[in-house]
Amino acid sequence: MRRFSHEWFFLIPITVFLGLFVFYPLTRIVFRSFTDNLTGHFTLQNYVNFFTQARYLGPLRNTLWFAGVCTLVGAVGGTFVGLLASRMSPKVRSILLSFYSLPMTLSSLVVAFAFIVLLGRSGVFNIILNRYFGLPRFDLYSWEGLIVTYSFYNIPLMTLTMASVFLNLDRSLIEAARNLGAKAWQVWIYIIIPVLAPGFVAGISIVLAGMLAAFGTALALTGMAKPLFALQIYSHASEGNYDISQASALAVVLIVVIVGSLVALNWIERQLRPGGGQ
Amino acid sequence: MRRDTVVALIQRVMLVLLILYVVIPLLVPLLFSFSTLWMDIVPKGFTVRWYQRIFARPIYYQGLITSLIVAFSAVAVDVFICVPAAYAINRLRGPVGGFVQAAFKIFPLIFPPIVIGTGFVQAFNRPPFAWSGSLMLAVFAHATLGFPFMFRNVLAAFQTIDERTLSEAAASLGANLWQRFRYILIPNVIPGILAGSLLVFAISMGEFEVTTLIAGFGWKTMPLLLYRSLIDDIRTASAISGILLTTSILAFLGMSFISGRVGGGKLRMAGARE
Repeated sequence: MRRFSHEWFFLIPITVFLGLFVFYPLTRIVFRSFTDNLTGHFTLQNYVNFFTQARYLGPLRNTLWFAGVCTLVGAVGGTFVGLLASRMSPKVRSILLSFYSLPMTLSSLVVAFAFIVLLGRSGVFNIILNRYFGLPRFDLYSWEGLIVTYSFYNIPLMTLTMASVFLNLDRSLIEAARNLGAKAWQVWIYIIIPVLAPGFVAGISIVLAGMLAAFGTALALTGMAKPLFALQIYSHASEGNYDISQASALAVVLIVVIVGSLVALNWIERQLRPGGGQ
Repeated sequence: MRRDTVVALIQRVMLVLLILYVVIPLLVPLLFSFSTLWMDIVPKGFTVRWYQRIFARPIYYQGLITSLIVAFSAVAVDVFICVPAAYAINRLRGPVGGFVQAAFKIFPLIFPPIVIGTGFVQAFNRPPFAWSGSLMLAVFAHATLGFPFMFRNVLAAFQTIDERTLSEAAASLGANLWQRFRYILIPNVIPGILAGSLLVFAISMGEFEVTTLIAGFGWKTMPLLLYRSLIDDIRTASAISGILLTTSILAFLGMSFISGRVGGGKLRMAGARE
């Protein structure tokens, strides 16, 4: 018989923890999503509601749009700053990246407050825009406002990923390809994109998954006025609109949407590899 | 002007602008919280009145104490579960270790706070786990959100010290498992534990999404108080934000200090806080 190695013993605390606080609540969600909220009988009604009612499909459509745009802004901004960071001297770069890791530890409500002070109705930037540039005031409590606010998380997050991705891009590889007679487009298709793609896709996966489920800052800024999918779950799971079975079904849908998006991104990334996903 | 000088100047300006993009949204609320009046572009007057108000009213300073208790407890729980787990996973070669690492990386993405919160609300409202509204439930919720970050930092620390060789050397000198941990391993991975602790602490102090779903009537954390004051009392909100911001910045400085001391140590914090 093989000796029972002591490593397994060290996994007991985390196994108990995960079982109780991850596996058990998730099973409850799945189980509850198939039961009637009041009687507790088996039903598919919660899912039927999701597929037939505009108050669930509408917010899901909003969320897909919103998360897509936020991810695009984060990807463009983060790639740009990441590229700049990769060209800086190591010392300057580490200062910049230290600052860019700050937003991630911030409370979503502190960020909401910060943007109220900056861009709210009597926000500092709005006064400056209005008085010195004659521009109309920026409406923080709009979809655009939410995108600007969430970019404060997404651009730095993407920057950290892209900076290391660009640093890993080996310039001698590009030069070698050039010397062997590769054209510019060939260098891009066969060298640069395949090298950058895994990191880039990993970065936008993190941003997209976060945005699909985001609701804290939106709740603080616009309440329920901008119906996001996660806000619908929140309102069903909290006191206001208590229907935990419906909330559970929506949570299952959200997990499926997130996993689906991550799988799709992963598939695209594999297609970008030379030889296209074979 | 020579072309190099122009390029250098543009780079300098870009760098300042990039840093300001992150710093201004942090600095302006702090200025706001110390000003008597801010109706225009520049704030007027210096005051600590808004902070005094927080420490004068029980609901606010008790909120701060509650937040601190929850954050410290969540850190303790995560240390307790993640340090042994990281030790074991680092030793387990082959598919198990790789699978666990990948799973913990993807965990916060597919089980975001709204899902964890929805699960907690219904999982712990009946026997044998009738913990609804208890502070302990908030501790475990925050520990659940934080453990992937703790695990990643501690595991990275184990990976950099070549734990097997160290342990074998110590064992050959007669150190038992406890002594190896106490005198060899823990002192070597303490930077990873500290970095993970500060990260979990910062996450817990600012956590709103799950906490608002599971909050009881008996207690409120700082972010819950901030949420309420954002609507009707922007001055109190500014002081609470000031306290939370300072906590985040201190935690962040601590992490930078640790990763600087360890040298080239990159913080493992990417992975969607939201």
